Amino acid sequence: MSPGRDGLLERLLAESRCDATAGESAEAYERRGTSIELVEDAEGTRLSVVAERGFALRLFRSGRTAFAASPPEAVDRLPFEARLVLGRARARRGARAAGPVALDRASALAPPPPPDEASARALLASFRSALLAEGEGAVSLTEAILTVGARTERVATTAGRDVAFGSGIATLVATVTGRTAAGSVSARVLASASRPEELFLARLARQAVDRALLPLRGRPLAPARGDLLLDPNVAAPVVGRLAPAFFGDEGDALLASRTRDGRDAFASPALSLVDDASAPGGPVKATHDGEGTPHSRTVLVSRGIAAGRLSDSAAAIRLQQPPTGNAMRRAYTDPPAIGVTNFFVDPSRGVAPLELLRALARGFYAAVLLSRPEVDFAADRFRLHAAGYWVEKGRAAEAVSETLVEGRLSELLRAVEAVGDDLKFVPSGSGGAGSPTLFVPKWKGA
Amino acid sequence: MSDVVEVFRQDAEDAVRIVSGLLRRGESGEAFRERRRRVSWTATEAGLLAPAFADERGTAVRLRRGRESLLVAREGDGPEALREAVREASRRAGGSPFLKSRRVAQARAKAEASAPDEEERAAQLGAALHRALPDPRGLSLSLTVARVFVSRAVVTAREIVACGTVRRLEATGVLRRASAARPFAFQTSAPWAPALDALARALSEAARPVPTHRVVEGRVDVVFSPGAASVFWHEAVGHPLEAEGGERGSVLTRVARAAVAPAGVLVTADPTRGDLPGSYLADDEGTPARSVALLTDGCVDGLVTDRRTAGRASNGHARCGDFRRPPRPRLSNVVVSPGRASRDELLEACGNGLYVREISAAHADPESGRFTLFVESADLVRRGALGAPLGPFALTSDVLSALRQLHTESGDVSHPANGLGLCVKGGEGVAVGGASPAILIRGLTAVRGRS
Repeated sequence: MSPGRDGLLERLLAESRCDATAGESAEAYERRGTSIELVEDAEGTRLSVVAERGFALRLFRSGRTAFAASPPEAVDRLPFEARLVLGRARARRGARAAGPVALDRASALAPPPPPDEASARALLASFRSALLAEGEGAVSLTEAILTVGARTERVATTAGRDVAFGSGIATLVATVTGRTAAGSVSARVLASASRPEELFLARLARQAVDRALLPLRGRPLAPARGDLLLDPNVAAPVVGRLAPAFFGDEGDALLASRTRDGRDAFASPALSLVDDASAPGGPVKATHDGEGTPHSRTVLVSRGIAAGRLSDSAAAIRLQQPPTGNAMRRAYTDPPAIGVTNFFVDPSRGVAPLELLRALARGFYAAVLLSRPEVDFAADRFRLHAAGYWVEKGRAAEAVSETLVEGRLSELLRAVEAVGDDLKFVPSGSGGAGSPTLFVPKWKGA
Repeated sequence: MSDVVEVFRQDAEDAVRIVSGLLRRGESGEAFRERRRRVSWTATEAGLLAPAFADERGTAVRLRRGRESLLVAREGDGPEALREAVREASRRAGGSPFLKSRRVAQARAKAEASAPDEEERAAQLGAALHRALPDPRGLSLSLTVARVFVSRAVVTAREIVACGTVRRLEATGVLRRASAARPFAFQTSAPWAPALDALARALSEAARPVPTHRVVEGRVDVVFSPGAASVFWHEAVGHPLEAEGGERGSVLTRVARAAVAPAGVLVTADPTRGDLPGSYLADDEGTPARSVALLTDGCVDGLVTDRRTAGRASNGHARCGDFRRPPRPRLSNVVVSPGRASRDELLEACGNGLYVREISAAHADPESGRFTLFVESADLVRRGALGAPLGPFALTSDVLSALRQLHTESGDVSHPANGLGLCVKGGEGVAVGGASPAILIRGLTAVRGRS
């Protein structure tokens, strides 16, 4: 509530009373955030305006970690709360407060400026118009939720780190209803970006119309052998489900066993996977992670070969690599955990999606997902419930209301022959997952 | 946390005066106070890791005028947070309230647990996990286990209404054995010791090796255990009867008063059932909790409503995920009256089909009525007897067909469901519960796989 110059963060760090000689260290974290949420539905309009400030403390002793978080009014209790269970926590190698980073710019945290309500209302109106135009009267907007937020964060440790940084987020969630003579169906689509101007409204409206009308207009397709073209709306959620395999802590052993310690390819040479907080079009635009480590571009799969891992400070020590800046905090009440920023299939060697469509001799173009994709990396299985078009000689021959595309995940990844240059992101985990169009020739179950 | 609601009342006179001063002619609204405390651990096969305490306090001021509503939220649950939220709400609504500062000494709520208590609870939790998994070889466990306390109160223009304090033990995560992974979700509002026993039992059951038999895809008759039936009622009947469907409503509101299920079926949304996780004294707008009949004698009956959809006739089902979000009509506990059949009689009536023990996730489209239930644990039924256990699969159908195909007899006991926990709608989760007898539905469609 006070403008951030009350020294609470410094006091929190000092009152952690860490005994460096006993292997103790501490990390204090402060977040200030403002957001507006605008909801339009059949009952009218709801506007929510939220301003918040919160603190968190992590205490480290000989690899053990304890975490406590509270709003400013209870901040004095945090060292007591964390100390209470520190002795019972199990040790994790490398867990300790991080040291200084280059170009630290410590400063008292100012509250971020409140998002603009008028532009939020204008943006929702634009989306409504775009949907009306795309849907040709057959699709109506049941509910639209636009959230625009900004936050500033600061991390200081007893090991000398003190860094402040800021970021923004904009999310649009739309529930639409499609009605034709064949019946009605409702569907939910969402988009997120680091700023409201970067939400691609026309694209989201098109996706919403496909999602609501394809199940009503097409015919079901029995799984059959054929080429497979995965739209970015379909491929990106699948890519997002691969991310945990690259988390330096938990996915390590599984990835090593899947690729026989890197001797086998993870995917086809057409696929490279990258995590990059500065990727154009990605929903995350931030300079530092939740531990104050600068984000970096991390190549995880290079032309089909597993090449890297995502790490926080502790995992980096264990992996004997510099940290990649992937310690993510969803809220000030959550301890940082390894997560993605913008995790995507690199489209730099991609071709225009129309060229990929022309290459489709006979097969299925999966335009939208009808339910959450089933991707089990451990069991090496995937299953997509999708709608789209049956394509022959590069032209859409028939709309497909629903079909299942399933099989071994490793086979799908290794069968991707070409990628498009139309990278699109969807919200995923702590950040975003992105993919361009993917072309898989002669898939046995499409 | 038991005395948190009393803390909320300490500035009662002042708070009520501020809220009543905020409201202008034609407006309605209230203030909402919430305190949430979460003590969590990451549980692995090696024991408990990463203890975390999180304390959240917040105040929201809400205004409604015609079709417009405004919510302003601030961190903190004391007088100053309320004043600040009211100032901002007034500014945005075009008013300018004069808030005379009156210092109210706010006594601290007693800490929920003293230090020895907390350590002891951690030890007890560790022991329960060890009991559940005495030999964790070959098993990889990644769970978050948390004790959660949530206290809420609503300040209206006349009084402070306590919504109640909810205590629950919850566990979510994944169990992996060889190349198979299964999700695990558990929640109970039982006291600590029985809650730990229930968690240990559920975990032990979930850790059993996954059966390799696969379900045969296609139409199938299904007997649902009481726990699984609770999920079906929640998805198939509960969600379509949440009053937010707009002018065309949902698949059930479009056939209001019609008989959609066999006579005798009574389904209620009942937040007054204190033994179930979705209970409260008053909803998040301060309306007293009330049981609402959703299906009476098999006919579509009531809707769950809030003040936005029903004005003063709200039946006390306005719920929000936390203080930052506006309340909307949501389910509480979906309770179904029992019939007279034993489980064996239902299996016999089924003949050849499936017996579903546990559903891990589900979703429904209220518009089309399509629903999908993701089955985690089930057995084959052959000639009226239980057969081989089955691997995960999904069941789909549409609400009206499923209710039409509901067997006239249901189980003779309505059991509380452990599997129902957090209902997520629009990204916002609220605690829900359910109690149902076992039921038999014919002609559902089985599909292999799990979301």
